[in-house]
Amino acid sequence: MTADRFALQADDLREIPAFHKLPDEQIHSLASVMVRRQYTPGQIIFLEGDHAGSLWFVFQGRVKIIKQSLNGRIQGLCLMDRGKCFGSCPLFDMEKNPATAQALDQVTLFILPEDALQQLTERDPQLVRALMSIYSQRLEHLSRVSEVLGSWTVADRINDCLLTYANRSKQQTTVELTHEKLAALSGTVREVVTRHLRLLETEGIVRNESGRIIILKPAGLTPPCSCEDHS
Amino acid sequence: MMVSKELLSQNQLFATLNGRIKNALVEKAILAEYPARLDLFQQGGAPSPLYILLSGRVKLYRQSKDKCQILALPITGDCLGAESLPTGAPGPYSATTLTPIKAIVLMPDDLQELLDDHPDFQEIFLKLITDRLKQFVTLVHDLAFRDVTSRLAMVLLTRAETEGLPHHEGIIFDRLLSQQEYADLVGTAREVIYRTFKRFEDSGVIRADRLTIIIRDHDALHAIAFHESH
Repeated sequence: MTADRFALQADDLREIPAFHKLPDEQIHSLASVMVRRQYTPGQIIFLEGDHAGSLWFVFQGRVKIIKQSLNGRIQGLCLMDRGKCFGSCPLFDMEKNPATAQALDQVTLFILPEDALQQLTERDPQLVRALMSIYSQRLEHLSRVSEVLGSWTVADRINDCLLTYANRSKQQTTVELTHEKLAALSGTVREVVTRHLRLLETEGIVRNESGRIIILKPAGLTPPCSCEDHS
Repeated sequence: MMVSKELLSQNQLFATLNGRIKNALVEKAILAEYPARLDLFQQGGAPSPLYILLSGRVKLYRQSKDKCQILALPITGDCLGAESLPTGAPGPYSATTLTPIKAIVLMPDDLQELLDDHPDFQEIFLKLITDRLKQFVTLVHDLAFRDVTSRLAMVLLTRAETEGLPHHEGIIFDRLLSQQEYADLVGTAREVIYRTFKRFEDSGVIRADRLTIIIRDHDALHAIAFHESH
């Protein structure tokens, strides 16, 4: 991990959706207190149960947020990519991180430390408003994860993950996740994911390639919930 | 019906608000009563009002076609709804009353006005959102890592701790939910709930009838609840 406290530019912060509406003055005051850090693939950013001291914003790369059971089983909660924010809110009784954050790729993060967060929120209602939006979105996501885990079949959960984490381009739709990571995100084990992907391949819905999955017919993966937009 | 400052102050979250915000709140809030089995708001709809529950019970849930997952069963003093107001996104869950309820209600436009005019109130609202977030993180953990038996035990244990009353056999509380709703809360089928309840009863851990549940062996239920599956 490397830290570069002085290299954070106001223009970099404008890349973060939560800060889009903030005026120049606030952006500059944020840039003066935030810290840039880089992580290598697989590196732990923080552990579940650690003191929740900061807010973390993804500038480059992807971060996976996971929960681990006492006996080591892993459940993925989400993948955070460019512009997304994670970490607990130490200002509101979330003293401990409820999940673990791990770098999936080469990751660059902007960090808003706890003391700066405390000072800024006391004098800046616009920042509190930005936080409300961030946590409101996360609430929506977690309520959906709860529904998926509680009431969907494993096949539905894997299909939903494929659609959620797909990279869409004009040429093709791909999912760049290993079977192991897809298993963690969909709450099952690697063998079940591999078996299900083979089945999808025989039905012409996906094509399995080394390190990635190409989605040929997205409609074949439609989950039972009709109110979510995967387009 | 009007809301008084005294009534508002009985809620822990709002008790610490300064007089100016309390005045603004009582001007906008209404006191309302709703019958049992009424849909308060729907998942996917526009941001809902904020409800501060004074009495009665509500279930918060997500539904897709024939599948349902109950996310929470708020109790007196809890707030529900309006969490999607900051983004204007569709509401993340539905709410239906399980019993007649009484609540302080703040309509979305009035809530937005309060948030715009009173920065201190923003912090209260942010706390409401983060509290619900913590609840959902726990639910995700339980759904991912505990088996059905452990999850049902956890539900009964939590209800005994928050709503239970002393009884000569142990701790008693209202049954409140149908067998299907217990299944929707735990994330399983109704038949599995029937069998698990029967197992708990046969082993003397609980006694249940149509209206009430009695926890007879709290320690045994605790041991079952905190077992994480492999």
